[in-house]
Amino acid sequence: MNRLTASRRLAAALLVGCTALTGAANAQTTPNLRAPHLKPDLTTAEGGIWDQSDKAESHVRASAELDSDPVLTAYVGGVVCRVAPEYCGDLRTYVLDRPVFNAAAAPNGYVEVNSGLLLRVRDEDELAFVLGHEVSHFARNHTFARFQAQKNTANAMMVLTAGITIAAAGAAYSTARAGGPYAGQNINTISSTARSLNDLVYLSSIASLFSFSREEETEADQLGFQRAQHAGYRPGASVDLWNGELDEARASDFPKVRTSEVRASIFDTHPVTSDRIAALTAMGAGVVPAAASPATTADAARRYRAVVRPHLGDWLKDDLRRRDYGQTLFLIDRLAGEGEDLGLLSFYRGETYRHRRAPGDDALALASYRAATVQPDAPAAAWRELGQACHKAGDQACAKDAFSRYIEHDPKAQDRWLVEADLKSMQQAGGS
Amino acid sequence: MKLFGQLCAFAAAAALLVGCETVASAPAGDYAVGTAYRVTLGRQWSDVSAIMVGRPVKVRLLTVDGPLLNRLYLTDGLAPGDFLVKPAAKERPTPTWRAGLSPTEQVEFIADSVAALDYERVETQNLRPATFKGAPALRFDITAKTQGGLDMAGSAEVAQVGDKLFVLLYLAPHEHFYAATLPEVETVFASVKPGA
Repeated sequence: MNRLTASRRLAAALLVGCTALTGAANAQTTPNLRAPHLKPDLTTAEGGIWDQSDKAESHVRASAELDSDPVLTAYVGGVVCRVAPEYCGDLRTYVLDRPVFNAAAAPNGYVEVNSGLLLRVRDEDELAFVLGHEVSHFARNHTFARFQAQKNTANAMMVLTAGITIAAAGAAYSTARAGGPYAGQNINTISSTARSLNDLVYLSSIASLFSFSREEETEADQLGFQRAQHAGYRPGASVDLWNGELDEARASDFPKVRTSEVRASIFDTHPVTSDRIAALTAMGAGVVPAAASPATTADAARRYRAVVRPHLGDWLKDDLRRRDYGQTLFLIDRLAGEGEDLGLLSFYRGETYRHRRAPGDDALALASYRAATVQPDAPAAAWRELGQACHKAGDQACAKDAFSRYIEHDPKAQDRWLVEADLKSMQQAGGS
Repeated sequence: MKLFGQLCAFAAAAALLVGCETVASAPAGDYAVGTAYRVTLGRQWSDVSAIMVGRPVKVRLLTVDGPLLNRLYLTDGLAPGDFLVKPAAKERPTPTWRAGLSPTEQVEFIADSVAALDYERVETQNLRPATFKGAPALRFDITAKTQGGLDMAGSAEVAQVGDKLFVLLYLAPHEHFYAATLPEVETVFASVKPGA
């Protein structure tokens, strides 16, 4: 019994060690703001991280996902410079055609912005907050801080697990030497306690790293908010952005996505969105923009739409390939709420229903294609799909008219011969 | 007793090897794609179906120089609900074949499936009529890029027979490999005949 008591004391002492480990990463001092135009020596650990970032940047330059529109890239880069004028010469912006809400700033100053983000922000103010957030990771050298935290945590974990193993081996040896009727049982208990403690050390160290990551994200939210506000952007944009993300997550077809934004885990890299909204709301309370706000919110949205309009169709097509139809419909409804691009948006609403094929979706698709084709910006494919939808619904007159208009709108379409064959068979069937 | 132990070890190893699937030779001549049809290979190919990660049961994958340099997908009839590319996660569904898709939607099914194989900028061109076992089919060309930016080219034939979709899909890097194997692929496409 004495041995068991000793092993419990050992366990308690090591548990304290584990708790200390949890705080090990958190106790790291975050580096100060980096000075502009600085590049670390390549022989240092930080220089190594920069070198890795340089390699990642060269991959991005060759990537098929790289958007080739210089106007769009210059626009996004301009917003980066506006929120981080001191680093303007250090940051290089790339737009990537990826249908996922994300952006990142690497330690060497390359900034990547996904088209999925540009599709979701409603105006430049929301974009400025995100870019301010990413630039803050760069300015605070968060990547290097995380690297240091990982290294320190790994070292601490190694020391603790070695200590647990050695202590357990010692306790087991003493128990064996003392002998007695329960020696074997006590050794098993010591062994299983040591295993559990080592597992606990491992999990604690992983959790501490995720906790550190969440703290960095919270700090970047705060600094990004300040940067955007200082550059004259609308203070409420950050909250609007995250509320939009929350609403979109709720609209997902997938239960896991619907709960992902509200269910916290110690293994999350980012804070829960609702917590971010609460923090940013508190930050924005009573804040008056430092400089003149860029006109009204509606004007800002219209100006932003004018920038992304040439890409809207491609980005929606990419988004549709994610096959989360609930989210795509949510996005389309929100974009249509601005009252612009209704032909294109109605077409993609029809496309979403056509792909989803839930009960009643055929009729919804037909109505959407109809709505699209009365708008001047309807793509030619809207006529073809209207024809298909009418044909499916048994409305041959509508189908013939829509197919004819499709050929008028896109006389060089690769499927013209197919549509003409359909038209011919419908005319023969109708006796006309 | 020692001999018995060695025999047991040999039998166990043999059983394990039998369980292992690996690359098989697909020699020139008839190659059966399920029970529905056969094609004639003009040269030896490698059947890498067994090592194709997440392969749907009805999809066969052949290659000459390795799957990154040329790949030929041959599907037995995909039934409604089947896919050409197996989804990696529930939240990342891949295109599913459904009966009654229009010809344009059949082409779209292939393009979206190629995109689900992590190719970028997938486009189809030169849509034209073809025949598959005497039934009307669609033939078209494909361009795409790997994520690293390599230009890919492809050609596909699809035929809906009843409620099933039959797919022959060839993909290769545009540089050298596509053109080098295309004549053989054309031979394969033209050789479809009813299964045994």
